[in-house]
Amino acid sequence: MKRFPFDILLTLLLGLGLGLAYSWLFSPLRVVDADPIALRADFKDAYRSAIAASYAATGNLPRAQARLALLGDINSTEALNSQAQRLIASGEFTQADQNVALAIALEDGTTLVSTPTATSDNTVIVIKESTATLPPPPPDLPFQFTETPQPIDTQIIETQAVINTAVPRPTRTLIPTIGVPFALIAQDSVCDTNLPDGLLQVFIFNSNRRQIAGAKIIITWENGEEQFFTGLKPEIGNGYADYSMSPNIAYTVRLASGSDIASELTAPTCQTSSGETFLGGIKLTFQQP
Amino acid sequence: MKSSRLFFIIIALIAGIGMGLAYGWLIDPVDFFDLTPDTLHINYKTDYVLMTAEAYRLEHDPGLAARRLAIFGSQSPSAIASQGLAYARTNGFADSDIALIQELVTALQAWSGIQ
Repeated sequence: MKRFPFDILLTLLLGLGLGLAYSWLFSPLRVVDADPIALRADFKDAYRSAIAASYAATGNLPRAQARLALLGDINSTEALNSQAQRLIASGEFTQADQNVALAIALEDGTTLVSTPTATSDNTVIVIKESTATLPPPPPDLPFQFTETPQPIDTQIIETQAVINTAVPRPTRTLIPTIGVPFALIAQDSVCDTNLPDGLLQVFIFNSNRRQIAGAKIIITWENGEEQFFTGLKPEIGNGYADYSMSPNIAYTVRLASGSDIASELTAPTCQTSSGETFLGGIKLTFQQP
Repeated sequence: MKSSRLFFIIIALIAGIGMGLAYGWLIDPVDFFDLTPDTLHINYKTDYVLMTAEAYRLEHDPGLAARRLAIFGSQSPSAIASQGLAYARTNGFADSDIALIQELVTALQAWSGIQ
């Protein structure tokens, strides 16, 4: 009976090990033609910011969605909001606004609208969705761009019955519209000894009752104005922001993106159960209708 | 040891190394992550250039566009944009997209001259 060739088998396994070590450790395949999903986190942030900036310029939501899908985020909206908070913390408010606008559009499924302004007696309303086509994917890549929607040009033109009066061409001004103005749905005085004195709390929700990070809040008083943003205290809520009010000063609060105005806000005087007085706070809640 | 046995051992070693290399390079290559943007496929690079061009059309800030393109490394922003333009022209990008990238290339070339 012939003996099993263990020495040959061992040599084969040794060779296999050497080959694997060389191909995995010493000379792995050189990285070329990588996908965006493999990028380092900070480069993914840069890529995401570029997507948001591009969306702010074109309003092309399908294209933005196709691009975001390349990054492989589990939840693109959360990723955008989270990045917006980091951008706000580093003082890059414009980029943060763009990220938030895209996040809102993803949630609502709406597209930015380019709204031209007309300066004549005639009424000219033009709603135009950006419809630039997506670049074709190379045949050897696995991702697919989404279809580009057909151009939609809606024009409502009420012309006066004046003969030979040229209708001025509208000046095309891109205005990223996030949505309808926010409504002040609740304004409450808060007497809580656990909170700092004179704390103004603001919560901002979109129409789906989702908190919005990166929303700019403008607070004014008789001789001053300040701005603050939601999203800097995510442990309380993405749509939360607060401000420390001074006693005996009347404040007015509104959102920079358009909202109801909460006026004559003064920190209330509260009493503890033992009869001591302290400065209470105010809680405002804004929501898109 | 017989010479034929030694021959088989060497053959087994070579076969093992070959199988290991094939497995490590072809069947299950190393998964890379945390890559830098210069490793991206040229199509993605071009799409990034296009995004920058789209944003530039609204912002008209060549400095900001240059900073966006700087993630690709040490090449000049106009060179990066030019590469994207060349790829877009030869790979069926829409004329409107090519025009946007061309506009960015021109702006960056002018901006580079000022810098």
